[in-house]
Amino acid sequence: MIWDALFSTLFLAAVLRVATPLLLAAMGGLISETAGVPNITLEGSMLSGACAGALVGGFTGNPWLGLIAAIVGGAIIGILLGVLHLEFGADPIIVGIGLNLLVAGFTTFIVFSLLGDKSGTSSLGRNLLPTIEPGPLAGIPFLGDVLLGQHILTYVAFLVWAAVALLLARATFGVHLRAIGQNPLAAATAGISVKRLQYAAVIICGSLAGTAGAFLSMGYVSSFIRDMTAGRGFIALAAIFLGGMRPLGVGFAALAFGFFEALSIRLGNLDVPSQLVQTIPYIATLIGLGLFAWRETTRRRRGSGATGQRRRPVTPGADPA
Amino acid sequence: MTATESAAVAPPVPGDDREAARARVHRQRRSDLVAAFVAMIVTIVIALAIGFVILLIVGKDAVAAYEWLLTGPFSRTTRIGRVLIDTTTLTILGLSVAIPFRAGLMSLGAEGQLYMGALTAAVVGLAFPLPPGLGILVPALAAMVAGAIVGFVPGWMKAQFGANELVSSLMLNTVLVRIYGYILTEYLTEEGSTSVASAYLPNESLIPTFTQLTGVSFDQANLAVVLVPILAVAVWLILQRTSLGYEVRMTGSNRLFAAYGGISSRRVIILSFIISGAIAGIAGAHLVQGVNGRALLTLSVGTGFTGIMIAILARNNPIVIPFAAFFYSYLKIGGDVMEQELSVGTEIVNVILALIVLLVTSQFVMSLVKRRRLSRLEAKGQP
Repeated sequence: MIWDALFSTLFLAAVLRVATPLLLAAMGGLISETAGVPNITLEGSMLSGACAGALVGGFTGNPWLGLIAAIVGGAIIGILLGVLHLEFGADPIIVGIGLNLLVAGFTTFIVFSLLGDKSGTSSLGRNLLPTIEPGPLAGIPFLGDVLLGQHILTYVAFLVWAAVALLLARATFGVHLRAIGQNPLAAATAGISVKRLQYAAVIICGSLAGTAGAFLSMGYVSSFIRDMTAGRGFIALAAIFLGGMRPLGVGFAALAFGFFEALSIRLGNLDVPSQLVQTIPYIATLIGLGLFAWRETTRRRRGSGATGQRRRPVTPGADPA
Repeated sequence: MTATESAAVAPPVPGDDREAARARVHRQRRSDLVAAFVAMIVTIVIALAIGFVILLIVGKDAVAAYEWLLTGPFSRTTRIGRVLIDTTTLTILGLSVAIPFRAGLMSLGAEGQLYMGALTAAVVGLAFPLPPGLGILVPALAAMVAGAIVGFVPGWMKAQFGANELVSSLMLNTVLVRIYGYILTEYLTEEGSTSVASAYLPNESLIPTFTQLTGVSFDQANLAVVLVPILAVAVWLILQRTSLGYEVRMTGSNRLFAAYGGISSRRVIILSFIISGAIAGIAGAHLVQGVNGRALLTLSVGTGFTGIMIAILARNNPIVIPFAAFFYSYLKIGGDVMEQELSVGTEIVNVILALIVLLVTSQFVMSLVKRRRLSRLEAKGQP
């Protein structure tokens, strides 16, 4: 019964849907991490985007304006992180914690102030970005019911994945990003403007996370709900580490988390204790994180150094060798 | 974030005698302390002012709102009691994260450790009838052990594999909170109970409340308040007067230097996570044995992160943490009162506090003060 459920087209379509925000946010986070700015504001940017999108979309009745607002809402968080970290030299992780709390408080406060309802913006009515209609292709198995008919931002997410992979591998901008992440001093000596690129990275990151938020409040469900990101930003962060900071790996890690989350939703309907099923994505992350770090450690010990310098090196001496 | 103790000190001028140099060091340190204190006050005022402007912009009666926010906690004894409850919980949580933070480790696992501590305290308190005294101690100690065990996991993963402790402790939080919910729903909730909660613990396991002791209603505030100074001093002693504390501080201020000096960062990582977990476990015991008298499904959302904010506000100084926790709790209860009286969202308090955290970490005010002091020195013609 479970296996039937897993390979049903409905389930596979659900995986793509659930993975969309993770994929978008993880790609944003990947750019920021690559440029050497640890970014845990994915959660806050996503929430900010979800709220801004739902409010602007709801008040104007135009979901596309909502999407723009969501992107701006996410980018603002990125800019704040950039200013506090790059100009004032504040610890990016602590700034991230502060920004996440700021957004969580501010979104609830503003929704309550505007609409008098703490739980969310459902009083503004349903407000959705379109899904792509499969049209005459609907009858084709797999293609018709899994790949087609998805929300428009799901396709955007996959395009972003491809774009980020190309950008980091081929484009000058991407190569420079990698250079400043690995050795900012050397990059600066080579004439790369480190600060400007890092600003670009956190703003792109915020925009992508904001887009992920737009998907949540204008696609996954049809309004903003208080704290609706529910830790997705941190799962996206885990995907970055699990994917070894490479676009291909990070994308597949995000899809894997989408799979486990869809699985937990699916199993929750099948009379398996839902609380335990809900832990699956997180336990998978923990195991994956441990395995990945273990592989890195052993590889480094062999002295191949093939993975190159990591931004946050493993503690010297943590290595039992 | 760890370099709190040693502010920049001018090198002694050759020819100066030692006494004068020492006096100058002390004077410098004192004026640094004063500057830090003034900067904190200015920071709080700036954050409150921004909150005030936000209230004005959304069209609320900002003056009345701030009146309730700042005086509300003293308007009823029960509200004073709630300030005390939150101060206790948050002091414990802030102290718990201060140790790994001092070692430069981002442990965000306090939430999960708190839930496991609460679960263990409830199970032990319900399963073993104990005489008074032991009845309070044994479940609380068990909660510490449970917290230490789950605190060990991300520490071990970090020390053994180099797994990023921030992500692993966060992931573990979610897992532990769900497991808590599962065990509570399936095994501890009694048949026919209307809500998901365990049975009440026997009286011997409950921490006496001030309401019982004084006859005046202080909500559920209880004698666990005495833990606030005790734990603060204990953590201070661990950090300042033990070799482990020395190793923690060295690792935090310069990891490479500490490693070359022969400090095993493996030991520092694992021990600081274990101690941190044990302390967070006490917070869980406090909620079960003191505040609620039983295990509830939702203990308090996001307390773990609030504890982290407290530690950041206090700059990981264990003696300052209780004051930061009191400050937060005071504003939070004030915010709740404000919401009841004026229907102004209490979340503005979280906005204000997040602003304070951001201003503090960016040393916004401090950098202004330093700049002014420098320009004044230059004006005097001193180097």
